[in-house]
Amino acid sequence: MAKIELRNVSKRWGSFIGVDSFDLTIEDREFLVLLGPSGCGKTTTMRMIAGLEDATEGEIWIGDRKVNDLDPKDRDVAMVFQSYGLYPNLNVYENIRFPLRVRKVPEGEHDERVRRASAMVELDDFLHRKPAELSGGQRQRVALARAIVRRPAVFLMDEPLSNLDAKLRVSTRAQIKNLSHELKVTTVYVTHDQIEAMTLADRVVVMKKGVVQQVGTPTEIYDNPANTFVAGFIGSPAMNLMDGTVTGGVFQGRDVRIGGLDHADGDVTLGFRAEDASVAGPGEEAQIAAKLYTIELLGDAVMLTVRAGGALVSVKAPKDFRAEIGEPVGFVVPTECCHLYDRKSGERTGAWHRPQGDGVPSASDAERIATTPAGPM
Amino acid sequence: MATSRALRQPASLRIGSAAFLTFWCLLAAFPLFWILVMSFKSPVDAFDASALAVIFGPRTIAEGKGLSVIDIAVGLVFLYFAVRLAFTRLPGLVWALTPPELAVLGWLIGCLAYAAVFVVLLFGVLPPVLGIIDSVAGPLGQPVLGMTTEHYRAVWVENGFYRNFINSMIVTGGVVTISLTVGTLAGYGLARSGSNLAFWLLIAALIFRALPHSVLVAGYLPVFINSAEILRPILGDAAPTLYGQPLAVIMVLVAINQPFTIWMLRSFFQSIPMELDEAARVDGCTHFQAFRRVIMPVMWPGVITTGLFSFLLGYNDFLVTSLLLDSQNQTMVPAIAGYFNRETTTTDQVEAIAAAVSITAPLFLLVMVFQRQIVSGLTAGAVKG
Repeated sequence: MAKIELRNVSKRWGSFIGVDSFDLTIEDREFLVLLGPSGCGKTTTMRMIAGLEDATEGEIWIGDRKVNDLDPKDRDVAMVFQSYGLYPNLNVYENIRFPLRVRKVPEGEHDERVRRASAMVELDDFLHRKPAELSGGQRQRVALARAIVRRPAVFLMDEPLSNLDAKLRVSTRAQIKNLSHELKVTTVYVTHDQIEAMTLADRVVVMKKGVVQQVGTPTEIYDNPANTFVAGFIGSPAMNLMDGTVTGGVFQGRDVRIGGLDHADGDVTLGFRAEDASVAGPGEEAQIAAKLYTIELLGDAVMLTVRAGGALVSVKAPKDFRAEIGEPVGFVVPTECCHLYDRKSGERTGAWHRPQGDGVPSASDAERIATTPAGPM
Repeated sequence: MATSRALRQPASLRIGSAAFLTFWCLLAAFPLFWILVMSFKSPVDAFDASALAVIFGPRTIAEGKGLSVIDIAVGLVFLYFAVRLAFTRLPGLVWALTPPELAVLGWLIGCLAYAAVFVVLLFGVLPPVLGIIDSVAGPLGQPVLGMTTEHYRAVWVENGFYRNFINSMIVTGGVVTISLTVGTLAGYGLARSGSNLAFWLLIAALIFRALPHSVLVAGYLPVFINSAEILRPILGDAAPTLYGQPLAVIMVLVAINQPFTIWMLRSFFQSIPMELDEAARVDGCTHFQAFRRVIMPVMWPGVITTGLFSFLLGYNDFLVTSLLLDSQNQTMVPAIAGYFNRETTTTDQVEAIAAAVSITAPLFLLVMVFQRQIVSGLTAGAVKG
């Protein structure tokens, strides 16, 4: 039980900047997800918390201790690795027991604690097996059990699901969520998969090239991306981003014209989410009018894509909508759903959207975001 | 597993390659087979012009030292069961009777006890029993194959070859122990380090490995001869003259062998994923504990393979041992060479051959015992487990 403070933590290798002054307080019992494309410094940040990598600058505090100069073993953290990191010569039972043995926990407690941990991840039938005789999902569960057997102050999970197939990923993800709910331990979770981030996180940190782009609850990040990078990274499909210019409150680009915007004149990037727009009915004024580029059936909806404002723009239509590629279509984009960004810097310049409700993400919100069907990623 | 038709080779190629392999095996095995046969014959038979006389040894039989058909059959059956028991029952007994922390000691005692029982049965019990059977068996009891163990007795008992054996064991034991201790530590460090220094250390090791062995010996020789004077300021009057001592040979052989050991062990360590160290360190190990408790248990195939190569180097070395050891510390290989240095008689030569067979046998045994670990060690880096 501890909160983690990262005070302007940086990591450099020579002139290469891995993490650039990362400054964040992770509250006790919070589930924090570090999200970003590969090479964005999220794993490095976690490894600095674990002590496997030295911070070039800044201070790392776990609880009330500064841990910069402590060995990993003295930081009271437990870690789950992408490729499991199980001890191949020990069976499952001994693997789970290993942290207890190394840390000289009284022998009498071992059996009970190992069995409790293995029961939590449903491994009771496999205790005598060697890791090589287990499937990927079972191996990752052994790694989870090994992490929870000791009740550490902090859990660190480094892309624990990336080596699993799609179906196992969903069930193991549910298991991690349930475990974190039950154990209530501060957790830092690294992933490049935004669906994992949305489903698991209390708060998400989006990173790019070592720099934090946005910190917020999944809902905040989904509803109000701070810049075009976050907008293009979160959500599936990602937010539509069109280039154009605003003149007198009217956004204009190729095949697109959206009026009623409260924004200064200039070059901007306008974004909106696929589910916020709709197909224009007969007689309705369409903000985007173009020829259909492609039509994708998703089961619960139909995804229509056109070229507009120099990009491919996708809009969700009812599942019984049918059209041929090349047919002209029109989309209605409500003004209040538009996000405006500076075209050069990518930073948000338009107004922040008011969060729905009182600002705290409700479970159903996270659910809705997470279950948006996977499009091309 | 049956090969699919598409992948099967044409019959001519298969027959051709099989014939070539058979020829090659015979060619390679013949010298070994021949010295084995010669070592059991009287000198007259061993150097007879006729190959058949060498194999069957009529004059050895005439001296009353021969084996009958019954002797051969019983002997072969005895050997078969002895080997089978050694590989099936012995490990089980050792595991059952020794606590796990004393496993090495248990194995040593078990193997020695087994060897002692084997020797007593083969040479003490079997001959008199078979002698009685032969005398009543009629024609089957007549000796057909000349066979005498007198040369082995001469070598091991009269010439005191056991002393050379013990010296060999001291030298090889020392070389293997030091090479592996330094090699695992250095190999692990170099495998896990990303610094430029590690790279240049490895290149330097490679250069040392490329030096001719005689260069090292020539460089060390004056130091060893004068070591008493050199070490006096530090050790006082207890300073030893290293020349002629096994320790000197161990030092030179380790110097020759260490670069290879470090390179080989390093590549084994590199095949063990970093995450294993990291998991251990997060779980509560210090860096060294992670090495000892997590990495080393996974490293056994690599350690055994490297250890075997070190063993072979120390065991088979002639140049260093013959130059640096005095006569009472001599190891087996230069001792055999000594048989040819006197006014050599045919008896000396056959004894030298018996000694040569004696030093080959432990190698066979070693490879047989460790073959599985060696194979998995040699292929460990190649395929992912």
